[in-house]
Amino acid sequence: MGTILIVAEIQKGKIREASYELAGLAQKSGHDVKSLVLGQGVRNLAEEFAKKGGGEVLVAEADALANYNADAFTQATLAAVQASGAGILLISNTPSGWDFAPRVAAALDAAFVSDAFAIEDEGGQPVFLRRVFNGRLDARVKTKGTPVVATIQPGATAPFEGSTDGKVTDLDPGIGECKTKFVEVKAAESKGVDLTKASIIVSGGRGLGAPEKFPELLQPLVDALGGAMGASRPVVDAGWLPHAYQVGSSGQVVTPKLYIAVGISGAIQHLVGMKGSNFIVAINKDPDAPIFEVADLGVVADLFEIVPALTNAVKAAKG
Amino acid sequence: MKILVCLKQVPHSDARLDIASDGKWIQEDNIKFEINAYDTYALEEALRLKDSGEAEVVVVSIGPARVTQALRTALGMGADRAVHVNDPAAEGSDVLGVAKLLAAVVKEESPDLVFAGLMSDDANFASVPPMVAQLSGMPSTTAAMSVSVADGSVTVERELEGGSLEVVQLPTPCLVAVQSGLNQVRYASLKGIMAAKKKPVDTKTAADLGVADAVGAGAAKVEIEKIYIPPKGHGAEIVEGSADEVAQKLAGKIKELGLL
Repeated sequence: MGTILIVAEIQKGKIREASYELAGLAQKSGHDVKSLVLGQGVRNLAEEFAKKGGGEVLVAEADALANYNADAFTQATLAAVQASGAGILLISNTPSGWDFAPRVAAALDAAFVSDAFAIEDEGGQPVFLRRVFNGRLDARVKTKGTPVVATIQPGATAPFEGSTDGKVTDLDPGIGECKTKFVEVKAAESKGVDLTKASIIVSGGRGLGAPEKFPELLQPLVDALGGAMGASRPVVDAGWLPHAYQVGSSGQVVTPKLYIAVGISGAIQHLVGMKGSNFIVAINKDPDAPIFEVADLGVVADLFEIVPALTNAVKAAKG
Repeated sequence: MKILVCLKQVPHSDARLDIASDGKWIQEDNIKFEINAYDTYALEEALRLKDSGEAEVVVVSIGPARVTQALRTALGMGADRAVHVNDPAAEGSDVLGVAKLLAAVVKEESPDLVFAGLMSDDANFASVPPMVAQLSGMPSTTAAMSVSVADGSVTVERELEGGSLEVVQLPTPCLVAVQSGLNQVRYASLKGIMAAKKKPVDTKTAADLGVADAVGAGAAKVEIEKIYIPPKGHGAEIVEGSADEVAQKLAGKIKELGLL
């Protein structure tokens, strides 16, 4: 078996959970596991990762790596691939991972698969499972040659939980010209709508068909339940509701006691934002909508009939 | 300034997704296609730069004859000319093969700015744009929520998780892959559609672009072996009955949860 190289990601001064998920995948695979920790002043994090599934950790430190920078991260990762002799390179599919992983693959002229949720082995060659059509279908994707570069969906696989006794080795990242310049990170603006504290959320999707359906159809149900209103990304993109209402990986991640998804098919970016809810009800006319996979109760019907009936039933049940 | 916009034509978001008989992709006969939604935002961003100054907007798309319709739509919205890479030998290309075709077009056109959508709504790979940039020796950024251009430098706010934004600056020539929702996309006007009929569409093959050996199923290192309906997770318990019956059951459950 060859070597799997993991690129660990640092977020807010810590190795993020998704990196431990990569370690879990790599340690299970039977391959030799090596990791790359890159940043500035990150040796202690490299030591920690080496003990928690990272295997032999290459630590690349440079000023250019202090903040995420596509050019610097690409160059340092290429140096690590060369130094480790890795046949498989795993990167988390995060805003930085999806930004530089394809550049690394192109530079290596390598097979590239993105956002996989599982890896299988077929005669020593990795095969990946991933979603297509925004989660409506899955695909089994084969690769050829070596190295193979892949990004893995955060939260899809179990994190490594044992301990390992990997060592830490310095790597010269060999960073040359970086055309891209990091300026700053702007924190999320105060939103006015804090869905993270709501115990009941009723969210509407494109299935509502028009912006006026939110106040006309959804708001009475929200009021009857004493909850808050949310929305899916397509609703926000279309300008029907402000971004503050968006539930999903690029909006708010919510965990209410009750989440009712109305006319939302359940693209992965939405599911990530609400699947931790305690109880989920989905109302959608498409029986194959991915939202039903994470729902506890599902209604396959016309939302324009169900929602008013539910509003009345809730009012009646309250007495 | 010259702007190249990469467009992909994908199955319409409301199209039926039936798996084709070979199991490798969906049945594409007799379904409607449209410009990938993310790419319409990329085109709109380019057209706004054209509206606010001097810019030529060139659109490029890869695919069979049906792609002409997507290019005509883009020309109708205001793009100046189109490049259609139409070559049966390029079918079966993996993302790197597609990126090599587009990088060859970038080389021929030498744009100052390349726009693309963050990902396609069909394969969801989100990897072609950074690959094109890497192959073209230009910097790139993804998930752009705002783009401003001044004096050979492009400032982009890119979307991170939870609504925070990372601000990056790239010198031209560079590539920007845009997130959905960064602008409101215009429709093609009737006048625009009429004018589009006179706008030039260049058709190219992989050989014309000098990358015949690097593309197509033979060169691909990644192949979709099969697509399938996702296995259900724990799956929802489906509530059936008339609207009132369903509503009663749901309200009963919500009460049982202690939420009323």
